[in-house]
Amino acid sequence: MTPLLQITNLHASIEDREILKGIDLSVNAGEVHAIMGPNGSGKSTLASVLAGREDYTVTEGSVLFNGKELMELSPEERSREGLFLAFQYPVEIPGVSTANFVKTAVNESRKHRGQEPLEPAAFLSLMRERMALVEMDPSFLQRSLNEGFSGGEKKRNEIFQMAMLDPVLAVLDETDSGLDIDALRIVASGVNALRRADNATIVITHYQRLLDHIVPDFVHVLWNGRIVKSGDKSLALELEQRGYDWLKQESAVEA
Amino acid sequence: MSTHPLVELAQRLVPAHVVDGTLDSSDGRLDALRREGLREFVRMGIPTTRHEEWKYTNLFPFIGLDYTYVPVRWSEGAPTADARTTMTEVASALGRHISIRIVDGVVEADLKHVPVGVEVLELTSEIVESNQDVARTLGSGAPIGSHPFAALNTALLESGILIRLRSGVKCELPIHVSVETTANASTLIAPRMLIIAEEGAEADIIHSSHTSGDATVLDATVVEASVAPSAHIRYYKIADDSDASRSISSVTADVHRDATFTSHALSIGGRFVRNDLAIRLCEPSSQGFLYGVSLLSHNEYTDNHTVVDHMVPHCHSEELYKGIYDGSSTGVFNGKIYVRPQAQKTTAYQSNHTLLLSSKAQVQAKPQLEIWADDVKCSHGATMGQVDEEAIFYFRSRGIDEATAKALLTYAFVSEVAEKISLAGLRELVMRRIARRLSAESILA
Repeated sequence: MTPLLQITNLHASIEDREILKGIDLSVNAGEVHAIMGPNGSGKSTLASVLAGREDYTVTEGSVLFNGKELMELSPEERSREGLFLAFQYPVEIPGVSTANFVKTAVNESRKHRGQEPLEPAAFLSLMRERMALVEMDPSFLQRSLNEGFSGGEKKRNEIFQMAMLDPVLAVLDETDSGLDIDALRIVASGVNALRRADNATIVITHYQRLLDHIVPDFVHVLWNGRIVKSGDKSLALELEQRGYDWLKQESAVEA
Repeated sequence: MSTHPLVELAQRLVPAHVVDGTLDSSDGRLDALRREGLREFVRMGIPTTRHEEWKYTNLFPFIGLDYTYVPVRWSEGAPTADARTTMTEVASALGRHISIRIVDGVVEADLKHVPVGVEVLELTSEIVESNQDVARTLGSGAPIGSHPFAALNTALLESGILIRLRSGVKCELPIHVSVETTANASTLIAPRMLIIAEEGAEADIIHSSHTSGDATVLDATVVEASVAPSAHIRYYKIADDSDASRSISSVTADVHRDATFTSHALSIGGRFVRNDLAIRLCEPSSQGFLYGVSLLSHNEYTDNHTVVDHMVPHCHSEELYKGIYDGSSTGVFNGKIYVRPQAQKTTAYQSNHTLLLSSKAQVQAKPQLEIWADDVKCSHGATMGQVDEEAIFYFRSRGIDEATAKALLTYAFVSEVAEKISLAGLRELVMRRIARRLSAESILA
């Protein structure tokens, strides 16, 4: 089976400082991968590079997504091809309603697939249905996107957008940060409801607690720009107990 | 030093008996005003960019043209002019309204539906002489001694438009004054409008200008408003599809107790627009609201000079101007707020925000607050910048291309002011026009 995502020897820098130093990762359809690691290990950089943030320069390696070289696509093309990034810090957009934003985004993707825009009524009922997944009140639709939303509301809004765009691969960048336990449960159940045999999820997180709710098939530890250890969900539990220091020492010895 | 052609033109146009004031019988208030206007215009001459108030307003490219003056005159009988401009779009956005068109100088007022208590009259010498309120108001607001084009307008004042709202009359129909010019040769027009709102009266007055010819139209408009206690006037000045127009206007309003004057300066398609707006809050509890949208591209120019004069205690003013400048356009904002020593308990807020969409576009912003009272709340803020990159990336990561993202964000930026327009049809037109300008009509669906 061809992997959905195949990252090979990925190097990326920001302002001449190399952050990713040779990432190799394959993600198959139906899988959930967790990427863990201490602060500054390159987790969010990996998410940003996958989504196409232009602050980063990819200096080496390749990323095949559904057989296409991701690095040759613009951020919007990546989205239309089915990649979704849930932001660690969703941006507040005064004056653009959540409904308008989501509608524009969904119709761009539909256009890309040669589909007609959704009828307003069908669209509204779809939005309401998907909002229910993350227990978001429909009144959020008319509010300016993320403006004045609490941390939890912003993250739920990210998962709502994910549900609307129905991506092939979702990358959740520290979606658990700033969430209380109830919001964490709501967000996780939203993500779980969207899991299917034909899509995949990469969960980037610092802590194990999100993985109690979104159970990964694989756990990878990122340290100093490389994946230094991979395992199943028990690795996350081990990290929770032992911290990251033993891995840092191990990888230092290997290097 | 030779006399400027425009000054010469004005001198030629003002008859000798007005200049000399020799014919006692006809030397009424209007002639006296005209004499004063001409004297001041000749004294001040054409302002250059060395003049602080005209520092960025470069009149040089067009001010020396050989203008033909087209006076305002009232037509007899039914309207005849066909609308070749975007005026019809504004008119249809307003729905049922009172229409006063000035087409190449000819006033065509459709007054069939004018409600009782709303008067639309030709401003003539006879009217001035026989109406004390008119005589008192005309020329009392316009800055004849400091604004050369207000002086020019006054020198040429033979006929104009008087809108009088009688006491307690709330005019349900918007009043639309459209200035349409289809000139094939350089043309000078100087429309004059006097708005008198008596106690408790209320109206929306839309003043739009449109051109359709190739020749330059120099439009030196003067509007004076007197807003009596508890009256509410909403005034909209629209520069729309007026490529050939060089518009230099002076709008003034005297606002009395518990009254409001709300101004919207909507520059959504004007090649050269210089708006001077001065609101005097002359009795306690009067309020002034000043809103502006400037959406410029190519080599367009819009210059808003505003003054809010807090003359007495307990008045309130709010000012919000937003500009979006693309191409090699230039926007100027100069906002003065005066708070006189006796004007305690004043609240005055001003903000001016600008988005620059191109590296060749420029903006000059100058807030000027002069506060002599100590128990006041005043603030001002000015920002200028580009569309937020992080926001653009957020859109792109959701499949929305960069151009659409910019358009949506820009639209959102300016909609905050457009939303202040209380006439729904006009608000929608402005939003639609903005969306069209940004090539983002789909976002309105």
